[in-house]
Amino acid sequence: MLRDIIKKEIQDTIMSPRFVFTFLLCTILILLSVYTGINNYQAELKEHSAAVALNRKNLEGQQSYGTLAGLGTKINRRPQVLSTVVSGIWEAVGRVAVVNIAYDPSMIDSKYSSNPIFAVFGSLDLTFIVKIVLSLFAILFTYDAIVGEKERGTLKLALSNRVPRDTLILGKAIGGFVSLLIPLIIPLVLGLLILMIYPNISLSGGDWLRIGIICLLFLLYLSVFFTLGLFISARTTRSSTSFLILLFIWVTFVTIIPKAAVMMAGQIKPIPSVHKITAQKDAYLQEIQKEAMTEYKKFSDENPRPGKDKPEERERWNEKYKEWAEDFQRRLTGKIDEKNAAIERDYQAKMRQQQKLAVNLSRVSPASALMFSTMSLARTGVDEHERFLNSVKMYKPIFTKWINEKMMRSLNLSGGEQPKPDLSDMPQHEFMPERFGESMTRVLPDLFLMVFLIILFFVGAYVSFLRYDVR
Amino acid sequence: MLEAKDLTKKYEDGLLALDHLNFKVEPGEIFCMFGANGAGKTTAINLFLGFIPPTEGTALIEEIDVVKEPLKSKDYVSFVSENVMLYGNFTAYQNLDYFSKLAGKRNLTKAEYAHVMKRVGLQEEAFDMRTKNFSKGMRQKLGIAVAILKDAPNLILDEPTSGLDPKSGQEFLDLIIELRDKGKSIFISSHDIFRAKQIADRVGFMLQGKLVMMKTKKELKGEDLNKLYIDYMQEHSGAE
Ligand SMILES: Nc1ncnc2c1ncn2[C@@H]1O[C@H](COP(=O)(O)OP(=O)(O)OP(=O)(O)O)[C@@H](O)[C@H]1O
Ligand SMILES: [Mg+2]
Repeated sequence: MLRDIIKKEIQDTIMSPRFVFTFLLCTILILLSVYTGINNYQAELKEHSAAVALNRKNLEGQQSYGTLAGLGTKINRRPQVLSTVVSGIWEAVGRVAVVNIAYDPSMIDSKYSSNPIFAVFGSLDLTFIVKIVLSLFAILFTYDAIVGEKERGTLKLALSNRVPRDTLILGKAIGGFVSLLIPLIIPLVLGLLILMIYPNISLSGGDWLRIGIICLLFLLYLSVFFTLGLFISARTTRSSTSFLILLFIWVTFVTIIPKAAVMMAGQIKPIPSVHKITAQKDAYLQEIQKEAMTEYKKFSDENPRPGKDKPEERERWNEKYKEWAEDFQRRLTGKIDEKNAAIERDYQAKMRQQQKLAVNLSRVSPASALMFSTMSLARTGVDEHERFLNSVKMYKPIFTKWINEKMMRSLNLSGGEQPKPDLSDMPQHEFMPERFGESMTRVLPDLFLMVFLIILFFVGAYVSFLRYDVR
Repeated sequence: MLEAKDLTKKYEDGLLALDHLNFKVEPGEIFCMFGANGAGKTTAINLFLGFIPPTEGTALIEEIDVVKEPLKSKDYVSFVSENVMLYGNFTAYQNLDYFSKLAGKRNLTKAEYAHVMKRVGLQEEAFDMRTKNFSKGMRQKLGIAVAILKDAPNLILDEPTSGLDPKSGQEFLDLIIELRDKGKSIFISSHDIFRAKQIADRVGFMLQGKLVMMKTKKELKGEDLNKLYIDYMQEHSGAE
């Protein structure tokens, strides 16, 4: 009986026009996205090696350690091979960090900044297609699963037989799911096959493991919408109502919750504005200036400047004043730097808190959960970006130390020509991409959330159907 | 055998759609229930099939209480609904095959399906056609074919002749008589007094949820059922 229902459900769907339409569109979109993903990756790879070579040449061309110190070295981030399926935020954040003795390093030169049209449309990666297009298909396949059969009258006819309702809903769920998977799995496997046999794309075993889990997440994500569709279709009496409700929930999940989460996080955990930070710094500066005045007054009170008639004492006083002033100056700058650093740290900490809150709030939506988890797995997300930036920040003092030593030595050598920089012992920036276990710890909550939603919606559909008015 | 004992249905909105309905349909008997639109015929059928719970009373199929043993009772009844709808993407064959399997008839051959479809008067070209292109009458015939294939001892038909052309209507009557002669209990709700009169062993008139009159074939002999019905209805609706 269950088998008959499953078979019928699959046959019924496969023979429907929407199946053909979905299958075609899925195939086109998935293959297109894998293809563009591969192309982008290869272009990035080329650009990357060109940029690395250029940087090397630039460094070697420097005449002295002094100019090298000012120019600094450029750290080019290696493109991620899994950006072919999940482009993540890597197109929006910079690809290059300049490390020199002057500034705090930051990432510049993103793909979006070099060609803003990319920013307008975003990339057509596989995650996007699954998140937007396929989830809509999942709804399209299920919005009338129950209510449609009621409207057609086939539910009554079926239930005039010895058919337990739980068998019927189970059969419909399994059959419907299988027929949703067909137009998804076939092009997906084709896409992965292309990825596998494409020259110059080498995927390690670890990468395949990650891809496997990304695919699992895709599946779970679509199951969420599938069971949701089943649930709503078992709670409505008209398929048009069911479709509208589902569309509304879909819009809420896919666009509203993520945006609202960011806004809410901004309200709950506000970060001070740039103006405020500047004002804070200025206020401290004024405070310090006032302090300087009083300290100076104190000094001059305790050490009255001898009159013009005592040149020797006056000379000594000048010496003493110079010493005091230098020391005082150093202390003040130290204080200011410390304060500024503290303000900056505080700002960063608050920003991170806000980000974290925004991420966690938005995770209620399976669409966000999908985004974050696949980005974690593809290592193209915020966390990997931060890890990279941190590695660059950690590299900066190493580089600075090296270049300073070199400069000192070349100064000591001084006299005639400055020596040409020798790069052979220049410390290199190193970055270890995140290991699988660490990525997974961030993926698990999203995975569990989706599983939870699937169970919730399925139980909802099941219970609703047992009491569904079939007339 | 179909039996209603004080069967009563009051909808959530307070409407008393069925008021202490009592009747029995014996094996080898055709019972025709007449009544104006909204009289409560479909409500009674929905109660027999367990689609809605009764407010009071019981519906029995082969002496099985349909509330207590909903699944078991369905083994003994075939149902043709008012407006038969099928899986539009399926052909007539596929529809028959699916519903027969649900009915527990798993080993039917294509020839048997074809035979039954012929018997209900479906033209042969339609056997392999997708039913979304079927007319109402064609769907009705296929619905009857589904019921025949189930081969249950009881048959419930809700306005079965409503979409049929005169020839098909006559063929349908012959079919019903054949089934009755095989000993099935047949309950038909209908407006079609002219046709129903030819086959009914017993008729009942329903008015606002009440079975107000019941007559056997013998009692009806020589009477003009049509006139009787209209007179009766006028009389009673006038009285209220
Ligand atoms: N779910 C419901 N809730 C409230 N009232 C209902 C419901 N279903 C039917 N009714 C009412 O019950 C009464 C009987 O309806 P029913 O469908 O049984 O009539 P019927 O005799 O089959 O009519 P027809 O000849 O038009 O098919 C009608 O007044 C109808 O409005
Ligand atoms: Mg009716």
